[in-house]
Amino acid sequence: MAIAIELPALGESVVEGTISRWLVKEGDRVDVDQPLVEVTTDKVDAEIPAPVTGIVQVLLAAEGETVPVGAELLRLEPLGEEVRVEVPDAEPEAWPTASAPATPLARRVAEASGVDLSDVVADGPRVRRADVERHVATKASTPPASVAAPAPPADPASERGAPAFMRYALQEGDRVVPMSPLRRLVAEHMVFSKRTSPHVGAVAEIDLSGVVRVRDAQKRAFQEAHGFALSFLPFLVHATVRALREYPRLNASLVEDAIVEKKDVHIGIAVETEKGLVVPVVRHADRLSLAGLAEAVEDLASRARSKKLSPDELKGGTFTISNPGRHGNLYGFAIINQPQVGILRMGEIVKRPVVRTLGGEDAIVIRPILHLALSYDHRVVDGAPANGFLHRVRELLEEAEFDL
Amino acid sequence: MAGALRVRELGRVAYADGLALQHEVVAARRRGACPDTLLLLEHPPVVTLGRSHKADHLLLSREAMTARGIELHEAARGGDVTYHAPGQLVGYPIVDLDARGARDVHAWLRTLEGLVGEALEGLGVRWRRVPGWTGVFVDDPRSAAAGARARKIASIGVGLRGWVTCHGFALNVDLDLAGFEAIVPCGLHAVEMTSVARELADRAPADLGARARTAVREAFERGLGKEADFESADAQRGEAERSGRPPG
Repeated sequence: MAIAIELPALGESVVEGTISRWLVKEGDRVDVDQPLVEVTTDKVDAEIPAPVTGIVQVLLAAEGETVPVGAELLRLEPLGEEVRVEVPDAEPEAWPTASAPATPLARRVAEASGVDLSDVVADGPRVRRADVERHVATKASTPPASVAAPAPPADPASERGAPAFMRYALQEGDRVVPMSPLRRLVAEHMVFSKRTSPHVGAVAEIDLSGVVRVRDAQKRAFQEAHGFALSFLPFLVHATVRALREYPRLNASLVEDAIVEKKDVHIGIAVETEKGLVVPVVRHADRLSLAGLAEAVEDLASRARSKKLSPDELKGGTFTISNPGRHGNLYGFAIINQPQVGILRMGEIVKRPVVRTLGGEDAIVIRPILHLALSYDHRVVDGAPANGFLHRVRELLEEAEFDL
Repeated sequence: MAGALRVRELGRVAYADGLALQHEVVAARRRGACPDTLLLLEHPPVVTLGRSHKADHLLLSREAMTARGIELHEAARGGDVTYHAPGQLVGYPIVDLDARGARDVHAWLRTLEGLVGEALEGLGVRWRRVPGWTGVFVDDPRSAAAGARARKIASIGVGLRGWVTCHGFALNVDLDLAGFEAIVPCGLHAVEMTSVARELADRAPADLGARARTAVREAFERGLGKEADFESADAQRGEAERSGRPPG
């Protein structure tokens, strides 16, 4: 379904605007937030950004034209899930022709050039204007049979900008899954973060005996009072916010040429959902008790999975904790969630043999061990505060002085 | 409008560099990577054309302007033609109107007029709005005479990127007003340009430029929230930390 982009109400007394310049043309692919059009009203020049990633289908106003607030300016075909539905599972070398739906623009062009749309081979899941134009051009020079030659789908976003030798040529039997807007966002963020921040890692081996004791003692009462099981994650969040208060450099952002240590601590919790990775934020995590943190984490995680989070709940994190769950392996380093400067990733919690001094004697004992990995941005954080912070998180967890 | 404003005083900046910096800060603001920001600067002589400019509001040919050392630039802001030169204080407030719950561009124009006006009051200049015209004008007891032209002291033109503002105002502090002869300012034939120095005449202090910057800075910080307020909140947090417990 195409989205209609209208002239927004720019103010109470603004009733109309003049299209001063189109910044896109029909058939263009636009990213979310990319400016589409400049609109002028008295003394104000406004750029209207794209609300979603998509293809510009049709422009509905001309440059210089004055239109009322609410008038449709253009239609945008979002790129994403509904496209995926139409992708055949494994038929990369020839998209179905007769059944491929055509964009309205392609239909218009086809009609104008007297082309039967069912003859056009789509260069993707849909017949687009370019397909029709190519069809017209080839028909003029070659017999129709050659049109059916295999053509790789155009513009897979994942390989935009990659040199030719790095591009993968589709094989028969490959499954082609177009990136959803969320997947694309995640991809762009990951590349941006790795390019922006020199990531450095540190790992702590943490003995969770104390935490396990506290948790076991409270488990039943907690379950009865709150209706869900108390996990280890709230303990880690609690220790992390306390350590962040002592090491504010980890709760910071680089803003232009200044390091900003933030007054608030909002902890992002990375959650894997059906749709992909989302990071809901526990706001003012430092003001919550352990039970309060448990409630907040449980609430956000369950609503993330049922897709009931509001966009505001995904914004404004100052530090992130990633919990890959039971299959977190020994440890691993997460990519920093920009514009933050640090992220903790939990490994699996497993009983391991460790050496302890008991009654003056070294002994091998069995303890529940968590490997906790910190990735930090070395532009902002040096090794000393980073290691100090991680060590403090470990101390707090091993001391296990938690009040529920 | 609650919020915090960071003020950056940049001195003299070429028009193109100012534009590039605005783009950068606007992009950062839209990502939420910086607070609302006021860039305060002045430009070397330049004539800029807003999106709704009319060709006949340029009174000198491009060649004649080049000969006078005046650059010519197009700008993605509303409004007509304007002129910038040293001695004119230019302010680019980059403010997220959405975040301030103030999604109204006309209200924003009136806010800018009001804040520039407040700064003028602090400098001892009486100002007024002229209904139907955007900009800041001066109150002139002599203008009771019929046919007198409105005298404009600050021009205003705004750009919006989503709901983040850019461009802003140009306040004539102490500049050679002859430069305006190259244009019809903002397309208003019935307007005469004036400056703070001209209005104050012999009441003008020697350090007028610095005083004007301070007055504008303070007016905007009063109106839009001072970033330092947040720094003092940080200091309080420091106290709480030293006492050993996180606050709250």
